[in-house]
Amino acid sequence: MYQLVARKDTGLGVTTALSVTFHVAAFAFLVWWQQLMPDPGPVQTTYYVDVVNLPVADPRAGSPTESGNELKPAPPAPTPPAMAVPAAPSKTVSGKKLTTSPVTESAAFQERMAKLEGKVDAQRQTAAFEELRKKVAARGKVGMPKGTGTEAGSDYTAYLHSRLKDAFRDTISYQTQSPYVMVRITIDGNGRIIRTRIEKSTGDKAFELSVARAITLAEQAIVPPPSRTVYEGAFVFKPQGVTHK
Amino acid sequence: MGLEMFFSSTGLVVKGVLLLLIVFSVVSWAIIMFKFFQIQKAFSESGRFMDFFWKTKRFDTIASQVDRFGSSPLTALFNEGYSELKQLMEAESGKPDHGGLSTDLGGVANVTRALRRATNLEVNRLEKYTTFLATTGSTSPFIGLFGTVWGIMVAFEGIGRTGSASLAVVAPGIAEALIATAVGLVAAIPAVMAYNHFQHKIRVLVKEMDSFSTEFLNIVQRNIAGK
Repeated sequence: MYQLVARKDTGLGVTTALSVTFHVAAFAFLVWWQQLMPDPGPVQTTYYVDVVNLPVADPRAGSPTESGNELKPAPPAPTPPAMAVPAAPSKTVSGKKLTTSPVTESAAFQERMAKLEGKVDAQRQTAAFEELRKKVAARGKVGMPKGTGTEAGSDYTAYLHSRLKDAFRDTISYQTQSPYVMVRITIDGNGRIIRTRIEKSTGDKAFELSVARAITLAEQAIVPPPSRTVYEGAFVFKPQGVTHK
Repeated sequence: MGLEMFFSSTGLVVKGVLLLLIVFSVVSWAIIMFKFFQIQKAFSESGRFMDFFWKTKRFDTIASQVDRFGSSPLTALFNEGYSELKQLMEAESGKPDHGGLSTDLGGVANVTRALRRATNLEVNRLEKYTTFLATTGSTSPFIGLFGTVWGIMVAFEGIGRTGSASLAVVAPGIAEALIATAVGLVAAIPAVMAYNHFQHKIRVLVKEMDSFSTEFLNIVQRNIAGK
């Protein structure tokens, strides 16, 4: 009597290794393909802005693109009074008209004109400097507190910050002592908030809710970013210094 | 958002579902490749064995060279049939009133049973692992769906917590959840296609084995009748 035994095949070892390689290759290809795909638009540099403890003293509230908020064009330079050309001197001696040589007369006239123009230019420059000095003095302190003047800034970030701050004043509420929420906001080229993500939070639900409401409220007033690019920024919300209306 | 970010930003349950589906997919593809080579080889060597079988008239010659076609299921049938036949012949030759293999003694029936057993073993061998393909094909979409449902539940929970139902808040969570269904389908579709293909190929091989068994028995019967 003999026993019938099924033939044995080689195991799945080799094909499993091949399969793993195939899957890793497929995943790598997908990642590579995604990198090849064009982005919806260049994402601006991310700015971390503390909504409460403002890094910018004068964030230039208002839309940079809204009509009426455009920067006023510099006043035109004061036009110098028209200089009357002096009449050429003429002498009459004993009924005869004395005339100088036309070449000598022209050279002297040119020299005098150059002197006069130089004087007028110097006056104009002094007036312009004076005007600028007055403007700066009238504006007072501007820019970042303790800023050196070399820090990068963004008008659109300041604008968003202002909108969020305004909206947050209306919605703020919290349960814990010192709540804190960091939200990353992505705005598309049409000014719509396409993504909101809470990155850090102390876990105060009421505060998170008020932040979310503030973002929804602020979204209604947001204009598209400059050059219609995708904007991404992280904003920190804290209750200090903000009063509830 | 990058693909790797998608995986990293999902929750624990969705991550588990994705991992399970990836394992299913890896094993499925390993089986697909294995079965593809196995069945392909079985077909090609069966053809070559049948040519050799009909050209070589003697069973003992075939038996000595049958290892050349080891991947063909027909060789297993031949080996079993021939072994059974040989044993019966030996048993008959040992008897005092030896007159060759007799159908009355159930000799041909024994060979038939041996061939049937060999056929069953070969079918089992060919169908090995294909059940995993069927399981992957039928369950992976549902596992993926479970991951999606769970992900959407979590997303809605987050929406309820933040109180904002804008598209910006809802869409990313749902997109992250839907990837589980996508991976489930990616695992299931090739598995189902491969399962159907292999089933068809195995059915063809089973028919070939049946035909070979019939031919083998005919030859045995003719030899017995001729004696």
